[in-house]
Amino acid sequence: MSQYDALFEPLNINKLTIRNRIVSTAHAEVYATDGGMTTDRYVKYYEEKAKGGCGLCICGGSSVVSIDSPQSWWSSVNVSTDRIIPHFQNLADAVHKHGGKIMIQITHMGRRSRWDGENWPNLMSPSGIREPVHRATCKTIEEEEMWRVIADFAQAARRAKEGGLDGVELSAVHQHLIDQFWSPRVNKRTDEWGGTFEGRMKFGMEVLKAVRAEVGPDFVVGMRITGDEFHPDGLNHDDMKQIAKYYDATNMVDYFGVVGSGCDTHNTLANVIPNMSYPPEPFLHLAAGIKEVVNVPVIHAQNIKDPNQAKRILEAGYVDFVGMTRAHIADPHFIAKIKMDQVDQIRQCVGANYCIDRQYQGLDVLCVQNAATSREYMGLPHIIEKTTGMIRNVVVIGGGPGGLEAARVAAERGHKVTLIEKAAELGGQIVLASKAPQRDQIAGISRWLIMEVERLGVDIRLNTEADENLVQALKPDVCILTTGGRPFLDQNPEWGAAEGLVVSTWDILSGKVEPGKNVLIYDTICEFSGMSAADYLASKGSLVELVTDDIKPGVGIGGTTFPTYYRSLYEKEVIMTSDMLLEKVYREDGKLVAVLENEYTAQREERVVDQVVVENGTKPNEALYYALKESSRNKGQIDNEALFAIQPQPVLSQDAEGMILWRLGDSVSQRNIHAAMYDALRLCKDL
Amino acid sequence: MMFDWLTPTLIAVLLVLAGIGAVRRMNLWRAGQADKVDLIAGLMAMPKRYLHDLHHVVERDKYISRTHVATGGGFVLAMLLVVFVHLFGVDSKVLAWLLLAALVMMFYGAVFVFKRRLNPPSRLSKGPWMRLPKSLLTFSITFFVLTLPAAGVLPEGFGGGLLTVVLSFCILASLVEMLFGMTWGGPMKHAFAGALHLAFHRRPERFGGGRSTGLKAAVLGETSHGVAKPTDFKWNQLLGFDACVQCGRCEAVCPAFAAGQPLNPKKLIQDMVVGFAGGTDEKYAGSPYPNVEVGNAKGGPDQIITDGLIHPDTLWSCTTCRACVEECPMMIEHVDAIVDMRRFLTLEKGDTPNKGAQVLENIIATDNPNGFSPSSRTHWAADQNLNLMKDVQQADVLFWVSDGAFDMRSQRILRAFVKLLKAANVDVAILGDEELDSGDVARRLGDDATFQNLAKRNLAILSQYRFKTIVTTDPHAFHCLRNEYADFDSDLNALASVEVLHHTTFLNRLVQEGRLQLDTFKGGKVTYHDPCYLGRYNGEYDAPRELLASLGIDVAEMERSGYRSRCCGGGGGAPITDIPGERRIADMRMEDVVSTGAELVAVGCQQCTAMLEGVVEPRPVVKDIAEILAGQLIEEAH
Repeated sequence: MSQYDALFEPLNINKLTIRNRIVSTAHAEVYATDGGMTTDRYVKYYEEKAKGGCGLCICGGSSVVSIDSPQSWWSSVNVSTDRIIPHFQNLADAVHKHGGKIMIQITHMGRRSRWDGENWPNLMSPSGIREPVHRATCKTIEEEEMWRVIADFAQAARRAKEGGLDGVELSAVHQHLIDQFWSPRVNKRTDEWGGTFEGRMKFGMEVLKAVRAEVGPDFVVGMRITGDEFHPDGLNHDDMKQIAKYYDATNMVDYFGVVGSGCDTHNTLANVIPNMSYPPEPFLHLAAGIKEVVNVPVIHAQNIKDPNQAKRILEAGYVDFVGMTRAHIADPHFIAKIKMDQVDQIRQCVGANYCIDRQYQGLDVLCVQNAATSREYMGLPHIIEKTTGMIRNVVVIGGGPGGLEAARVAAERGHKVTLIEKAAELGGQIVLASKAPQRDQIAGISRWLIMEVERLGVDIRLNTEADENLVQALKPDVCILTTGGRPFLDQNPEWGAAEGLVVSTWDILSGKVEPGKNVLIYDTICEFSGMSAADYLASKGSLVELVTDDIKPGVGIGGTTFPTYYRSLYEKEVIMTSDMLLEKVYREDGKLVAVLENEYTAQREERVVDQVVVENGTKPNEALYYALKESSRNKGQIDNEALFAIQPQPVLSQDAEGMILWRLGDSVSQRNIHAAMYDALRLCKDL
Repeated sequence: MMFDWLTPTLIAVLLVLAGIGAVRRMNLWRAGQADKVDLIAGLMAMPKRYLHDLHHVVERDKYISRTHVATGGGFVLAMLLVVFVHLFGVDSKVLAWLLLAALVMMFYGAVFVFKRRLNPPSRLSKGPWMRLPKSLLTFSITFFVLTLPAAGVLPEGFGGGLLTVVLSFCILASLVEMLFGMTWGGPMKHAFAGALHLAFHRRPERFGGGRSTGLKAAVLGETSHGVAKPTDFKWNQLLGFDACVQCGRCEAVCPAFAAGQPLNPKKLIQDMVVGFAGGTDEKYAGSPYPNVEVGNAKGGPDQIITDGLIHPDTLWSCTTCRACVEECPMMIEHVDAIVDMRRFLTLEKGDTPNKGAQVLENIIATDNPNGFSPSSRTHWAADQNLNLMKDVQQADVLFWVSDGAFDMRSQRILRAFVKLLKAANVDVAILGDEELDSGDVARRLGDDATFQNLAKRNLAILSQYRFKTIVTTDPHAFHCLRNEYADFDSDLNALASVEVLHHTTFLNRLVQEGRLQLDTFKGGKVTYHDPCYLGRYNGEYDAPRELLASLGIDVAEMERSGYRSRCCGGGGGAPITDIPGERRIADMRMEDVVSTGAELVAVGCQQCTAMLEGVVEPRPVVKDIAEILAGQLIEEAH
């Protein structure tokens, strides 16, 4: 047996045996197409987790039970129609085939939604109080509507059961309708649906009773609840213990899932899916507190990413099941790798929250570092098979995430791979990104890739600047350029980059340039780099003003991550200034003067500072590409039709002499880690 | 020749002395414990056992088999005729010519024995054995010359005084070797003891192509258990030790010896002889136990063996792989002897080294060697939807899961096998938490009490259910169930009409019946490692190879494969007692694998898998045949 025995002890929920203690908890996938149906992509996404050994998948975060709880904004699952039943059957079969179990979260989102689309409903809430995160105004729900929604819950549960799913989870978390009734912050009613504790509990209790009556005693019905809303006027931990105990006493709830924090403000929302700035399992104590008072299994997720961490939590008995949802997004074969004694090969979630930050924009959930996740249906593999064709000599120039992924995949295919990196270490821009406060864990992406290319025997040459001669001397069959970019400081000559008046965020984060005392950061990109540089400088004692011409500093960063930057920047008194263009920088009396112009009024202001840092994105390093392009057999071109269809590049099957040349990542144009790794994977998987 | 009386006198005297020696030797054997043997039937069967079974083993070395036929056959015939012609003076030219012919044959063989001894391989013992070819040549030449007058080639009374002296000396020298030495402890002892050993062998089932590998049950509740001193062995075991020809074939195949652990099966047998005959090992002229000096061991029939004759580490180095037994031309049973002595150390002294005592305690307390909670035995199958016997009461096949159930690596084998069973729609059930450890490790570690306890409890459970076949992926459990449980099953008859199969045999049947659709294997070169408890213990060499062939795999055989497969080092509790050596057996086995150029080594045993995977990478991939098959399974589309 192994040190991970605690993970592999089966446990029953109601009569359902879960093969291990690892759960993929409910999250919004944004994959349900055709009006909220669990179609091919959805099924394959969960099948992969089941294949990888996950014990229980609770799918369909915020799957709606009623037609006036909109689903289209987040392509969530639509359980308000019988049309879903055959789709559920496909889903259940796919998961059951691999020994997994699957349930679905069902909910009515109440005020936590958008009304300006789909059926243009009036959103409903116990007392008609606006929800700030979605800027959602709503009506006060009427009793007839309550009974209708209660009946909708029961019908939705029936559909899940008829579809062969193993259970339903009632969402009473994230400020959905049930916990909108629970929370005195939102429920100001004085009728029998509010006021007293029992009154606030009544709606949820009626839902539970109706659902249980519909599905019978043996079908799993769980509840996901918060452990503490973290609002003075909301539900605290003692309130939640009381609530959990109250519902548990009905013997109608088969398990409780516990989430730390409420989430109807930007700041609390960031707690719900803790990013890399959080410590491990920050809210476990809340789940453990709930477990104290209930008699059924308790599931807890939130920043549990490592098998040792999971084992420690389970062995100590804090909870019964560990939710490892992002861990499975990063690596759906998480469990299989533990069982294969390949713990070192687990691609661990780093908390970049690319997944959830896309979801909040209504975009499909993708993993920043695993491009195969949710693209299983297109044929992108998590386990790369060895080629049965020719073994090629593959040379990759540039050891950033794109280059590392290309080298990894090519090596997994069994090719002879050489990876050349100019710097003394691999990782590319991730090395820089990880220097910022609270961002060190981003390096987990490159750490895994480096461990993998080393394991796979890639010939890694550091401190080596590639030129045409070096590439030709290696006689590659395939040369992949991932040479990245360089800070684009010379877009506006008035900034004075050529005279050294401005430096880049790279210069700051790498430590190449000492932090100035009084620093202006001009950030046109408004993503991580500018915020990280500001945080870095402020943490070194600089006085920092972060200026952007965009509508808000960090506006390009998703909903679970900008709050943690803001917490840090506001605390360090970083001044954030919007709508100002940096027009010119000049030197005067040993100081730098930055000339700013308001985009909307053209009014000019000047700042006298010691240091001006410009974040204006990158410009591709393409000299080597153009040097090699003409001599390559494909003239450096990638066949987009094949690429987008995840098909082999036609040039691979053409019988011709000469080197195939591809470039990808920021060496083409600035995009992000996922883009570079996606291209690397889809290009190299058929190599 | 002068002094006509001399030759018959010398022959008579030495025959008498040989007779005295024989009686004396037999008394040494008879000091051992009684064992039921059909003496007459054994003696009757002996020539056939010699000519067929023993020769079958010797025949593996063609050079020595031919040499031995000539020398041994020539000598037996010649000696018989010498008695008639030279002792009784039967005057027959025919006999004389026959004798001459026999001596020529013997001489011919002896020349090759002589050649072999010019530069003998290290496995052969030296010392008196170096003298033997000369004695054989002397005997054949001397009696050839002596017989010439009887054949009418030379006149009676030929030669002079000098020749008479020389010939007399030669007669004496060769008869001392060939007759006196035969019963008083010279190299020729092997002929005398060997013949009787074949007649009174403790496992007569082995003759005629049979297989007898199950250990004999210890009698529990006696004042002492196991073998403490030489006289605690059965008398025919002692006889068997005396049959040893010190050819060292056992030494050449012993994995522990090769790994530099303090075991050499040949030396062990010789030490047993020292023990029951009394004395020291200073005359031993073969390879020592690695890193143990020869000359310091001494023993006697009633002295505790592990007090000065054999260090316990020697006994604990054995992996019970049976390579020595398989290879022994005299069909000596080394493993029986070693386990007999282990029984004393474990049951009487509680001296099972390293993790041994803890493992035995675990087995006693938890029914598995690693002390896992018995209630976690079926955790691995939580998602397998397997029938439990206690629910279904009957099934065609009972899948004996074995303790691999507790091990994450082995669980992969189990799951792969279940996948195949399901694909073939086999009506299968498992015992679940009712299954107990088979007792294999306990038995090999000498704790026969625990083994017997487990066997009886397992049989009691098995007797509750109906099934035709037991299949297991664990060759050790397979061996216990198939070969060792019968001793305890006479009341229950739980396994009386049950076929016990290894999973490769069972899977091979499924493939032959077309019940598994398999894709061709497209990986690189594959070799196959025969697990000892599947191959040598149970004779299953073909099914695994046929399965691999069914995937289109042309097995790149290792030099040591089939009945000569080298142990992985994992048997007999060896990884538990963990006696230090110079190398690890598993590393050597992996070198065997690597030398075939294979990228994948197919195995049919969880223990072998664990041992071979314990070899540091880079190394070929290790997979159970069930895993390889499951990987190539064409599943019906849902």
